[in-house]
Amino acid sequence: MLDLTDDMLMLKVKSGDLDKLGLLYERHKKRLFGFFYNLGNNPSVSEDLVQNVFVRMLKYRSSYAGNGSFAAWMFRMARNVNYDYHKKAAKNKIAVGTDPEDVHVETDTFSEKVDMEDKAYQIKRAMAQLPDEKRELLVLSKYREMKFKEIGETIGCSEGAAKVRVHRALKELRNIFLQLETV
Amino acid sequence: MDKEQLKIQMMDYLSGSMHEDGMKEFEKLLQDSPGLQSEMQALMDTWDMVGNLKTPEPSEAMDTAFFDMLSNEMDKQHQKKASKKFPLWLWPFPRAQWVFGLLLLGLGIAVGYFLNSKSEEIPVDNVVVNEETESVRQKLVLTLLEQPSANQRLQGVSEANKFESADEIVIKALLQTLNEDSNVNVRLAAIESLTNYVDHPIVRQGLVQSIPNQESPILQITLANLMVALQEKASIEPFRQLLQERTLDTTVQKKIKNSIESII
Repeated sequence: MLDLTDDMLMLKVKSGDLDKLGLLYERHKKRLFGFFYNLGNNPSVSEDLVQNVFVRMLKYRSSYAGNGSFAAWMFRMARNVNYDYHKKAAKNKIAVGTDPEDVHVETDTFSEKVDMEDKAYQIKRAMAQLPDEKRELLVLSKYREMKFKEIGETIGCSEGAAKVRVHRALKELRNIFLQLETV
Repeated sequence: MDKEQLKIQMMDYLSGSMHEDGMKEFEKLLQDSPGLQSEMQALMDTWDMVGNLKTPEPSEAMDTAFFDMLSNEMDKQHQKKASKKFPLWLWPFPRAQWVFGLLLLGLGIAVGYFLNSKSEEIPVDNVVVNEETESVRQKLVLTLLEQPSANQRLQGVSEANKFESADEIVIKALLQTLNEDSNVNVRLAAIESLTNYVDHPIVRQGLVQSIPNQESPILQITLANLMVALQEKASIEPFRQLLQERTLDTTVQKKIKNSIESII
C-alpha cells in the first residue's frame, strides 16, 4: 500500500474506496497544518481548516482527473479553504488575520516568545506583514519537496512565473525583515 | 541576460534544481559579479529562514475529527449502496408501502405458524399409543360394567368418561347399563356419562328409548331434565306412556308434564 502514489490513492477514493483517504491524510496532514499555521492561523483554526480540506476532497472527488500533481490539487483546495475562512471571518468580524503581527504574537505563549531566537521571531513577524499572495507563495515553497512546477499548478501560473514570483516574495520579505531589525 | 531569466536561474540554484553544467556556469557568474553574489547570499539566507520556520505538531484531536468524519462518510456511502439495491421494477410503489406490506406478511406468517402449531398433526407414534390405550380402556370398561359389584360398575362408567371420542361399543354398553343395571347410582352415572355424547344419534335414540324402562323417580326426573335441555321432541311420546303408569310418583308426574310442555 505504501507503494501507491498519492495520485493512485486519490483515484481509488474517487472510485468509492473512501478509506484510502485515510492514507492521504496521514501523508499530508502535517504539511497542510503547517501551511495554514504559517499563513497566520492559530493551531486550532489550522486543524479545522485541514479537516475542511479533506471534506472538500471527498465532496469534489469526482472532479479529480489525475492528470496533474495531487499536491497541487490539494493545495489549490487548501488555498480556497483558507480564502473562504478568512472571508467569512471578516464578514463576521472575527479578529483573525486582520493584524498579522498581533495574530502571531497571540498564538505564541510568553515563554515561547522569550525563548524564540530573534531571527526566527523577526522572520515570522516579517512574514505576517507580507501581502497574502506572497506569504502563500513562500509557505508553499517552504515545503521543499514541492517543486516550482507544482507551485505554479497550485497558483495557476507557469513554472517560470512561479520562480519569479517566489524570488520577488523572498526579496520583499528580506526588506521587511531588515526594517524590523533596525526598529 | 534577461532580468526574469536571471531570477529564474537564481531560484533554480537556490532550490538545487540546476544541472551541473548550469550550476558551474552560474557560480562563475556569481564570482564575476560581487553585487549578484551578495544578492544571492541574502536570498539564500531568507530562503533558509523561511525553511526553518517552526511549526507546532497538530493535536490528536485533529486525527480523531478526521477519522470520525471519514467513518461517517463511509457509513453514508454504504447506506446509499444498500438503498440502490432496491429492485427498480418495484419502484412504481412507494418504498414505505413495500416495507409495510412485508411487515404485514411477516406478521401473517407468524400468526399462521402459531395457530398451525396448535392443530399440528399428532406424530404417528403417539397415534399408535393412543389407539392402544383406547383399546385397553374399552376392554376395561366392558369388563368393569359386567362385574357383580356396583362399585366396580361405577368405576367402569367413570372409565368410560375418559374416552376422547365416542366409541360405539362403549356407548352401547352404557345404554345397556342404563336400561338393565340393578343399581340406581350406576344407572345415573351412565346417564351422566352418555350426556358427553348427546350429539351422537344412537345416544339420543337410546336415551329416549330408555324413558319407559325407568322406574326410579330420580332417573325419570334426570331424563326429563335432560330431554328438556336437549329439546328432544322424540321423547314426548315415551314420557306420555310413562304418565299412564299408575305407580308413577306425583312429583315425577308434574315434572314430566312440565317437561312435555317445555319441549312442545
